[in-house]
Amino acid sequence: MIEIKNVYKYFNSLKVLKGVSTEIKEGEKVVIIGPSGSGKSTLLRCMNLLEEPTYGEVWLDGKLITPPDPYLHREVIEASKTFVKMVGEALQEDPAKSEEEIFEEVYRTIRENDLLKRHEGGAYRAALKAIAKDNYVDINLARRQMGMVFQNVNLFNNMNVLNNLIAAPVGLKLKTREEATEMAMKLLTRIGLADKVEEYPQKLSGGQRQRIAIIRALCMEPRYMLFDEPTSALDPEMVGEVLQLMKELADDGMTMVIVTHEMGFAREVATRVIFMDEGVIAEEGTPDEIFHHPKNERLKDFLSKVL
Amino acid sequence: MAAWDSFYRQLITLEGYKNVLQGLLNTAYIAVFGLLIGMMIGCLLATTKILPQKKWYVKVLSRFTDGYVALFRGTPMVVQLLIIHFVLFPALGIHISSVVEAIIAFGLNSGAYVSEIMRGGILSVDKGQTEAGRALGFGYGKTMLKIVLPQAIKNVIPTLGNEFITLLKETSVVSFIAVVDITKAFQNIANSTYEYIVPYIVLALCYLVIVLIVTGLIKLVERRLRAGDRN
Repeated sequence: MIEIKNVYKYFNSLKVLKGVSTEIKEGEKVVIIGPSGSGKSTLLRCMNLLEEPTYGEVWLDGKLITPPDPYLHREVIEASKTFVKMVGEALQEDPAKSEEEIFEEVYRTIRENDLLKRHEGGAYRAALKAIAKDNYVDINLARRQMGMVFQNVNLFNNMNVLNNLIAAPVGLKLKTREEATEMAMKLLTRIGLADKVEEYPQKLSGGQRQRIAIIRALCMEPRYMLFDEPTSALDPEMVGEVLQLMKELADDGMTMVIVTHEMGFAREVATRVIFMDEGVIAEEGTPDEIFHHPKNERLKDFLSKVL
Repeated sequence: MAAWDSFYRQLITLEGYKNVLQGLLNTAYIAVFGLLIGMMIGCLLATTKILPQKKWYVKVLSRFTDGYVALFRGTPMVVQLLIIHFVLFPALGIHISSVVEAIIAFGLNSGAYVSEIMRGGILSVDKGQTEAGRALGFGYGKTMLKIVLPQAIKNVIPTLGNEFITLLKETSVVSFIAVVDITKAFQNIANSTYEYIVPYIVLALCYLVIVLIVTGLIKLVERRLRAGDRN
């Protein structure tokens, strides 16, 4: 399961994500749609930390892959100097209130108003460190679990098709060269490109390249696949073959998160559709709910333009 | 033909060719080892600029690189050579042969240029290549070594070749610190015969031939590396 907890992403003054929370459960096929600039791709890239969230946390299978966000952990806030000071003040002001009430109130005030400062004392630092340590996972190990397919394909230009496919499993010592080659050939045969094994990416068509990029990710045997507008940069006649492969993957039971503008594909494959607008999840639901009974005005407007 | 005869006499009969060959060798030494040292320094300096500028020591190193590049690009090669030979090394109590001094000076100087070349080469590789590497689970270092650098090196070969040619020709100033390079050798011939036309034209031709050979070699390397590219 991939958990996104209250993720914000700022690029300097540009606020791309403004508090996104969602979960990707095993077996789900989640399609993220939305107007350009709504933060779809950024959200996807936050899942495998190609973008580091400014605030918020991302959890993969119960392990924290971002640094812990103090605002998401009550025990961290409670260890902060600010909290202690504010509780002290509140107690003096209104001794009648129960301690629990005050704690709750101060906690909420700090969390909602972003009151933590740079230095909040040793106890605070220790609390943060404890969370990071308990849930630590090497990001490079976490990324092996999440295959990623890019809009501009990004096959390695300095390697032929076979080396593209086996580079990661062999380079990371997960498989021997023979095992990796066998698996690569099996996948290449499946997509009908076994004869291209010695070619360099520059000599392939866009659709062939993207399909090879997909099986390159599969060669790592990931548990999740992230697709970042995989067909947006392709010639129209090549879109079909890539979507077909993705559909086959979905039918095989792969957990997938897909950012796309292909509404037909979303309707057919998705188990859940997320509509993003201006950095937040504006609406989410089953394809039927989203495409046939949209509630959000922006979503209705968006659908009227793309359908 | 009197000019030619006196040149021939000086070169062959009076065994001036020994001097010329020694000069040629020195020129080659200084250019080749200068570039090798330059490439090592250049790669190290470029690394400091390419690393994510987050840690304080990376920032310090990156500032150092800025200063280094400014210093060595901002002063003439001859001046650097003179300072190393007459000021720096005597002050440090280092006594080594002038050829080695020249190699060090050219290496240091070339490092500044190579660092910028390498940095440009690495930046010229599409960011998507790095992202794809990282997304597959490669760490930063492995992504650089296996994916980015091979492509960057291919991109910088022409510019690096250019740097080598410039370096090669610039070695003609080493006579300032009493190294006999090919220029000095021909200068000696000219000075002892008082005939200038033939020695200097032959000298020019020597440089031209060397540069043409080097150009050919660079093209060969480039073609090898580009084997995988479009057509």
